[in-house]
Amino acid sequence: MMVVWTLALNTFREAVRDRVLHSIFFFAVVTVCASLLLKDVTLGDQDKVVRSIAEGGIDVFASLIAMFLGISIIWKELEKKTVFTILSKPMPRWQFVLGKYLGLNLTIWVEIALLSSMYVLLMLFQQDVPSMIFFVSMVLLVMELMLLTAWATLFSTYSAPTTASAFTISIFTIGHLADDLWLLGSKSDSALLEQIVHVIYWIVPNFEVLSIRELSVHEREIPWLQVGSAMGYGIVYSAVVLMVAVVLFNRKDIR
Amino acid sequence: MAAIRLDDLRKTYHTDFWKPSFEAVKGISLEVEQGEAFGFVGPNGAGKTSTIKVLAGLQSATSGGAYINGISCEDPKSRQQLGFLPERPYFYTHLTANEVLRLYGSLFGMSGRRLTVRIEELLDRVEMRKFADVPLGKYSKGMLQRVGLCQTLLHDPDVILLDEPMSGLDPVGRAMVRDIILEEQTAGRTVFFCSHVLSDVESICERVAILVGGKIQTQGRIADLIESGEKRIVCAFQLQQGTIEDVTVGHNVTLIPKGSLWQVVLSETEFGTFIRNNTSDISIVDVRVQRRSLEELFVDAVQEDRAHSELGVLV
Repeated sequence: MMVVWTLALNTFREAVRDRVLHSIFFFAVVTVCASLLLKDVTLGDQDKVVRSIAEGGIDVFASLIAMFLGISIIWKELEKKTVFTILSKPMPRWQFVLGKYLGLNLTIWVEIALLSSMYVLLMLFQQDVPSMIFFVSMVLLVMELMLLTAWATLFSTYSAPTTASAFTISIFTIGHLADDLWLLGSKSDSALLEQIVHVIYWIVPNFEVLSIRELSVHEREIPWLQVGSAMGYGIVYSAVVLMVAVVLFNRKDIR
Repeated sequence: MAAIRLDDLRKTYHTDFWKPSFEAVKGISLEVEQGEAFGFVGPNGAGKTSTIKVLAGLQSATSGGAYINGISCEDPKSRQQLGFLPERPYFYTHLTANEVLRLYGSLFGMSGRRLTVRIEELLDRVEMRKFADVPLGKYSKGMLQRVGLCQTLLHDPDVILLDEPMSGLDPVGRAMVRDIILEEQTAGRTVFFCSHVLSDVESICERVAILVGGKIQTQGRIADLIESGEKRIVCAFQLQQGTIEDVTVGHNVTLIPKGSLWQVVLSETEFGTFIRNNTSDISIVDVRVQRRSLEELFVDAVQEDRAHSELGVLV
């Protein structure tokens, strides 16, 4: 595991130097800050609006960072040929894929932790305290992005960033519309179409399962059963996708 | 047990579904003994880098086998005692030489004081200690090559694979790298040296394999290969009577004027006839035997392969 950790740390150090990441992070900070400023110009339940914008901002910008870093995570190493001096060391390739994946996620965890801390500090400054469900919602966001980056890593093992980004955005979109996909199938008159749509539903990830943002915004009770099963779903699904990425990368000729 | 063994190694690339596959390596077999310096030369596209990548575990053999210290190159354990320097090594540009060597060291399970001492020792050896904390993005090509050599030798490997190690180096750097390779070889390491610069191969290696079109055209001890080839005679003479055309007519010679003298370069068999035909016309001043160089062997091997290919096309 020492090798995996070394590679993860190196990936993290490389990612945090990326200027595009800095820009996205800057806009995320602006959005979180703006959510509190909007409080004074909002009608109705001002606190809910603030929570909705801040949490939504963290979600959107963290997803952007995950996709931006994920689509080139392996490809960049192949393109820049840095992989030559790494993979010629005595380690199996799964350690390389896992190290890159964990390094990428470490960057996302740190980014979410920083934005959440900033949000909490701003709330405290406003003499408000975020409820526990906000933190649980952030943990599920981390899980959602771990699943998304597993897909991005898989695409990155065999396709260039442009193609990988198209695939990853598709997975992200379909994953958020999975429940609608099921509904569409169920309402179809054709039994065949219903079967096909339901098969697709079980293959593509369901990101909505991993989201309790609505509950968090309304400061409801934490649905522990949903949280537990969603975490289990996310871990198993991510592991399967990563295994496919490893199998593909193992067969790849490094040119 | 051979340090490096290739057993009818073949490597085929399938680039595109619609395009035919390309066989880069067409059944190479060779053995490099422990402690030996072996040269692996060939023109561009001969299959050298493909072979080296199979040995380094970056690519899989299509058929046949590649072994380091008896372990298949498919097995990551084969790389435990392998130091590999790729052609023009690329590194993480955000890291310094110190950091990147630390990263590579930890991939070999090295850490702490042992790793620090080894890094300092190697950076001193390639005269890069004063740039140890400069990000690699600011390094020149030659400086990167030196850091590349450090990462190759970091874990004190038994087998060293070098793909164009002199690339990008100035003459001083080349001499330094050559000395380091020779020191490693003297210390008992096996060196597999791949280069276009044949004078470097000649000065470092005992044995050589000349690879052309994915196949080994010639292999053996460099001294034996040079000795086995036809020698050429360089003869300097003074013209006693007649013209130089009268003397050389009917002979396949290279003629070079040298002041009042003439110099001819001819084959051993041609030399006898030349002397017999011109006994009274010339006075011989000097006769020297000239052996073929590795470069000539190389060119001959390439030309022989081309001739075979053309013959194949005609047939």
